[in-house]
Amino acid sequence: MSNTCDPAMRDLEANVPSLKRTLAERMLGTLKWWVGILVPFGVLGLAGWILPLPFVMEVLIFSIYTMACNFLLGRLGFISFGQPAYLAAGAYGTAFYLYYFGTDPYMGIVAGVLAGFVVSALAGAVFVRLRSDYFALVNLALTVIVFYMLQKVLAPITHGDNGLWFLDRMRNTPVLDITNPRQLALLIWLVAVALWAFYKYIDGTIFGACCLATKTNEDKVKFLGYNDFAIRWTGFVLANTTAALAGSLYGIYFGFVSPEMASAARAADPVVVTILGGTGTLYGPLVGALAYVGMKDLVSRLVGNWEFFVGLLLVTVMLAGEKGIWGTLQPIAQRWVGRWVSESRE
Amino acid sequence: MRGGPGIAVPKEAQETALLRAEKLTKRFGKLTAVDRVDYVLREGEVAGIVGPNGAGKTTFFNLLTGYHLPDEGSILYQGEEITRATPQKRVALGLMRTFQLTSTFDGLTVLDNLVLSYFRANRKATIPSLLRNTCRAFYNDHDIGTLLQMFELDHLRHRMVRHLSLGEKRRLEIAMAIVADPKVLLLDEPFAGLSEMEIRSVVGILREQARRRTIVVIEHKVSHLEGLVDRLTVMHEGRIIADGEFEECLRDPEVRRSYWRVSEVT
Ligand SMILES: Nc1ncnc2c1ncn2[C@@H]1O[C@H](COP(=O)(O)OP(=O)(O)OP(=O)(O)O)[C@@H](O)[C@H]1O
Ligand SMILES: [Mg+2]
Repeated sequence: MSNTCDPAMRDLEANVPSLKRTLAERMLGTLKWWVGILVPFGVLGLAGWILPLPFVMEVLIFSIYTMACNFLLGRLGFISFGQPAYLAAGAYGTAFYLYYFGTDPYMGIVAGVLAGFVVSALAGAVFVRLRSDYFALVNLALTVIVFYMLQKVLAPITHGDNGLWFLDRMRNTPVLDITNPRQLALLIWLVAVALWAFYKYIDGTIFGACCLATKTNEDKVKFLGYNDFAIRWTGFVLANTTAALAGSLYGIYFGFVSPEMASAARAADPVVVTILGGTGTLYGPLVGALAYVGMKDLVSRLVGNWEFFVGLLLVTVMLAGEKGIWGTLQPIAQRWVGRWVSESRE
Repeated sequence: MRGGPGIAVPKEAQETALLRAEKLTKRFGKLTAVDRVDYVLREGEVAGIVGPNGAGKTTFFNLLTGYHLPDEGSILYQGEEITRATPQKRVALGLMRTFQLTSTFDGLTVLDNLVLSYFRANRKATIPSLLRNTCRAFYNDHDIGTLLQMFELDHLRHRMVRHLSLGEKRRLEIAMAIVADPKVLLLDEPFAGLSEMEIRSVVGILREQARRRTIVVIEHKVSHLEGLVDRLTVMHEGRIIADGEFEECLRDPEVRRSYWRVSEVT
């Protein structure tokens, strides 16, 4: 029996080709998405068998650290010279748990992330109300305070400059054994990929658009009826909890933390690497971290002052159009590997 | 209906007033930008506000929408006091404005600009809800599509707003206000920077919109308001010097004296 006289049915039939097309587009979109993750990170993962493992791990952790800064700068328009505070919050959260309370490194990571969340939630409630230049400095001030607390005030529990060693306290874990370097590297890789996918997802959400909107025109966000404070605070907390996760992974990787982690001398690094990689681009943090750690590890082997070369590269990149390494390479890469490396938002 | 104590409002006016400003005053240092302004906006009307540079028109809008808080006076909306309410609260109540200097999101596409305005008005704008929903899900929305076509922005839907011309940005900003389906639309010089053809098309849209909402338009050139507004208010040095039917207002001798542009046009 034919149902075509039923108007609803006729409607459906008329729409079948477009339904099919949408489905195909969806699948292709998802495929591109996965290729976009797996190609760059896959290459780096494979590099783990060729390049020294510590190098790959450091690049990955540093890229996570930079993702946080990249979101702050590229999406919210916040420049922070105080990222070590959040890095250290994560590292010490993990260290305290593993040194004093338990032996499960996964719980240690959870403790680090929680510590980072608490610190950034409190700091954010005040900081995101500030003008951007004050914001940059107040974060630096926080870093100095955190350093002083870790080194002096909390010395009875942090052991000051001696730091906390907990490498032998971490127990073996089932499935992915963190105490095994190769499996730890895999875990860090998985975390980096997951975070990359997370930030890509965020970019496409209404929240992501709101963040970019507050960056250029805070007033208009208010007068469309959004709570601009809540948007900036959430963005700030997301980013700095990510920074804390990087700190936690550093802690697990070294099995050791010291106040050095919150040193103000390294406070500009994530900003430099963000700009070096390409602010606001999704691959920027990975590319920037690769350049930065690469210079640190390779150049320092040949000549003394690797920071000089990072500085030189930064100046070159800025003069070449402020788009960063990835911002410059992206059009070329797009021509080579096709549309899937295209960014959802600039 | 609530009326604040000590505010004597005729019963009849109280019932028809959608928005009411009483003795509204704003000072910037020595300058009184808005000076004891009483203003009643009735539901469904299209009102024009004219006046020379610095008359206080924009400041008046800023007070109504919560950009500035008044030094004195009060604002009632649907009988509710909103004098010190946040902009967000007022938008939620249905007051939507545009800015004299076009205000859009340069780093987003035309479509995303509209989606942001549409989303706040039609979905929950809590953080979890902002995180759950993608912009893409609204790209084929019927209401947004209609407005894109109405304002002739359809071909620019994926263009970054920073690459638009001033006229296109202005049309986009008005579209962003309308897509939120506000009860009251407050437009601050919506025609500035538009070509005569664009003005005609926007006036046409506003005439059509007037059937659905209350509209207030600030404008410099009275001629642009002719045939659009039912009522005209003339401001001068922070005060309202004439308020009433369009033609009548322009014949007012004080208006002619203090606002030469008006006498020039008529
Ligand atoms: N934020 C502010 N701080 C100080 N003075 C202000 C501020 N905003 C407006 N003014 C002053 O208040 C007066 C009224 O300005 P307003 O912008 O309301 O005038 P307007 O009628 O909109 O004029 P225009 O036609 O030029 O837009 C002007 O003298 C202006 O300089
Ligand atoms: Mg004005």
